[in-house]
Amino acid sequence: MESESARMTTAAEARFRINAPNSQPRSVKVIALDTPSQRVIAQLAKGKWNRTSFFSTATSGNSIQLKDLSGRAFDLEAEVANANLVVMIASSGENSQAAGIIGEACKDKRVMTTALVLGSEAKTDEALSKTLAQLRPHALMVVIASAEEYIEDMLTALRA
Amino acid sequence: MLRKEQNDLLTQTGPGTPMGQMFRAYWLPALLAEELPENECPPVRVKLLSERLLAFRDSEGRYGLIDEFCAHRGVSLWFGRNEESGLRCPYHGWKYDVTGQCIDVPSEPAESGFCKKVKLKSYPLVERGGVLWTYMGPPDQRPPLPEFEFATVPRDWSYMSKRFQEANWLQAMEGGIDSSHVSFLHSGNLESDPLFKGAKGNQYNLSDMQPHFEVVENPGGLLIGARRNAEDGKYYWRITPWVMPCFTMVPPRGDHPVHGHFWIPIDDAHCWAWSYDYKPNRKLTADELAAMRRGEGIHAAVDANFRPLANKDNDYLMNRAAQKAGLTYSGVEGIAMQDASLQESMGPIVDRTLENLVSTDNGIIMARHRLMRAAKALAEKGVTPPGVDPAQQRVRSASVVLPPDQPFKDAAKEALTVRPGVGHASV
Repeated sequence: MESESARMTTAAEARFRINAPNSQPRSVKVIALDTPSQRVIAQLAKGKWNRTSFFSTATSGNSIQLKDLSGRAFDLEAEVANANLVVMIASSGENSQAAGIIGEACKDKRVMTTALVLGSEAKTDEALSKTLAQLRPHALMVVIASAEEYIEDMLTALRA
Repeated sequence: MLRKEQNDLLTQTGPGTPMGQMFRAYWLPALLAEELPENECPPVRVKLLSERLLAFRDSEGRYGLIDEFCAHRGVSLWFGRNEESGLRCPYHGWKYDVTGQCIDVPSEPAESGFCKKVKLKSYPLVERGGVLWTYMGPPDQRPPLPEFEFATVPRDWSYMSKRFQEANWLQAMEGGIDSSHVSFLHSGNLESDPLFKGAKGNQYNLSDMQPHFEVVENPGGLLIGARRNAEDGKYYWRITPWVMPCFTMVPPRGDHPVHGHFWIPIDDAHCWAWSYDYKPNRKLTADELAAMRRGEGIHAAVDANFRPLANKDNDYLMNRAAQKAGLTYSGVEGIAMQDASLQESMGPIVDRTLENLVSTDNGIIMARHRLMRAAKALAEKGVTPPGVDPAQQRVRSASVVLPPDQPFKDAAKEALTVRPGVGHASV
């Protein structure tokens, strides 16, 4: 007699997979850590997203303020509190100091963090090292991408 | 998740498909050299990229990979007679050489030249490192032979196996670049498998179940780094190279041989999982070879047709008692079949519109991104895809301890490059 595994792994059986949503939209906060990255998120924000918000940062001492694309201010703690994932966008060689503050807020709230570094091929290894040193302690996943469109693909893949 | 059209693009590799066109830009493993062990040995049926082919080795030792079916009445040439520098169809005696050229049609006068007008589709077949490689693309764009290190070391420094996998190539390949599953699915094997146990790196693995990941683009594909805390504030890195479209090398452990895979599409619902082990600076020991032949490490015990002995027909020899006792995490024995059983359970082609990836899946997301981008560039602009250039194939995996502020790609640059005769950087 055919085994259960053999019967259940056919293409015919695959047709009976339940076709119903198996997750709710995630809340994703995409935060540009520096000026060049702000241009990237401004472009990204034109796309159609589920529950994704895009912010830039303004640092003042040991605190930062989030600003949306229209310049409205938002509280970091409050935004992180209702996030499932925080994506930080950094440009190689730029100051990514804000990652520390955002990372701490995410750690407190047990929110996942991902950092994307752009433009590394145009910068020196030292510049990339500097950026990575600022990001690494605060991001569970770091991606060094050569193409800006990767961010869109990544957010789509994550159902952002 | 992927949209349906993206999933179709990535998983379909037959003739005329964009991903099929891309696979046809590379030299691909087609058979183990031992499958054609001597001149005039029996021919072997081969299906690759949804094309039915036949491999044979003629009286002069030349390898051929030709259309499986006789041009006359469509008989399978697997029944053919391998004799006097060609393969003769047993039905009416038509005979073909290794290029697929018909060289004899007994019913027609030789002077008529009829046989010269008959030629089966054929592809080159070349032995390198115990593997017979084929190139199925346009002849005028044939790249240099592959330079993956395992294929360039002396034969007794490497071991190669293959197993039939009943799933699309992509879901098998994605398992190979998904570093985060190792701490779960294979956790029972790190300290028991003879080809894994004893390495200091295993302790880092087992003491930190939530590694941090970095994904870096490389000219030929990706470098995927998993870092865990080591002593003195340093990081223990395990770095996996992925060379497009489907080659990976697992980071080494101690002085064990280094292993990795190719996943080659047979058709859209099946693939060959190729597994290699090698050392770049010494012969494999008798014990290592014996373990590999038993199906330990990343290899699997298979039957004469390379189908694993633990397979879907026997529920992969599921052992719930071993699962409950923690001897295996999934109840399936052996690293290879732990992976294959789960990948086959997804169905022949998993519906990626239903999946819910998380940020630690960025290696998979980036690999898909690069595959789609390369397939599009090849189809629309004729751009040679990454990984075709042999220089991009001369990569190594590494396991290293590095200071915390350094990009692993640069800090471990030497370790990630082939250095003939020098061992892998390994912890």
